[in-house]
Amino acid sequence: MAEPLNSDLWVDQYGDMLYRYTLVRVKDPDAAEEIVQVTLLAALQAQHSFQGRSSEKSWLFGILKHKILDHFRDLKTQRTYEVTTEDGPDPLENAYLSDGHWANIPKNWDTDPLKAAENLELVEALSRCLDKLSDKLRNIFVLKEVQGLASDEICKEMKIQPTNLWVILHRARNQLRKCLETNYWDTKQ
Amino acid sequence: MKSNKLMIKFMERMIQLFRATCRDTGPLISEMMDHTLPLGKRLRVRFHLAICDVCGFYKKQLETVRALARKLGGEEGPTQKEAVLSENAKSKIKDSLKQLD
Repeated sequence: MAEPLNSDLWVDQYGDMLYRYTLVRVKDPDAAEEIVQVTLLAALQAQHSFQGRSSEKSWLFGILKHKILDHFRDLKTQRTYEVTTEDGPDPLENAYLSDGHWANIPKNWDTDPLKAAENLELVEALSRCLDKLSDKLRNIFVLKEVQGLASDEICKEMKIQPTNLWVILHRARNQLRKCLETNYWDTKQ
Repeated sequence: MKSNKLMIKFMERMIQLFRATCRDTGPLISEMMDHTLPLGKRLRVRFHLAICDVCGFYKKQLETVRALARKLGGEEGPTQKEAVLSENAKSKIKDSLKQLD
C-alpha cells in the first residue's frame, strides 16, 4: 500500500497540472476538482500496475484522459445534442448575401496556423472564446479538437449522428473564428 | 438518344462544379476537416477555392482555430497558469487518498 506521504506528494506535485488540463476541457471548476480526485484515487489503487515504463507524470495523464472521457460520457444521458437557437447563430443564416457571397467577409489573418499556435496570447484568446460557446457546442468541439478524439469515436461515445456532429462542429468553429476576429485580430490593427 | 442525354447530364454536372457559391462551400470546408468528402463535393470545393480568395481566408481561419485548440489541449497547456487547486481542495483530495490506506 502507498505511503501516505507519497500520495500527499502527488497532490502537491501534480495536482495543479492535472487540474489545469481538466479545466480546459470541462470548464466547471467543481467538476474538474472531482475528476482530479477520482484520477488520483484510481492511480493509487493501480499503483502496483505502474512499472515505471513511462514517467509517473504521463502515467497519471493517461488515467486522467480516461476519467475526463467518463465525465463526457455521463453527460450524454443528461442532454440531447440537437442544435437549437440557444447554440448561437446558424452559420448559414445572415452570413451570406442572396447571391451566395459572404455578407461579412472573413479577414485575411495572414498567418500560418502552426505559427499562430506558438502565440500564447492567441491561445489564451481561444480559451476565452471557448468559454462563450454553449455547453453543447463546447463539449463536442473540445472532444474533437482539444482532446483529439476521432469523429466516429465521438459519435459512438456521445450517441450522435455524423451529420449532427458536423453541424455542431461547423457552428462551433464559426463562432470561435468570429470571436477571435473580434477579440484578437481587430484589436491588433 | 441515350448518349445525348448522358452528355447533357455530364454538362449539368460540370456547370454545378463551377457554380458553387461561398454559401455552398463554407460548410464543406468545415466538413472536410472531419472526414473525406465524396469526390464531387471535393472537386466543388477545390474549384471554388481556386477562384475565391475569401473562402481561402475562411479555410485558414478554421485551420488556425484547430491549431490553437490542439495547443490548448497539450499537457503543458499554456493557459490559465493562475488556475490552481485551492488549498481546501488539495487537503480534501489528500484526505480521500489517505482513506485508501
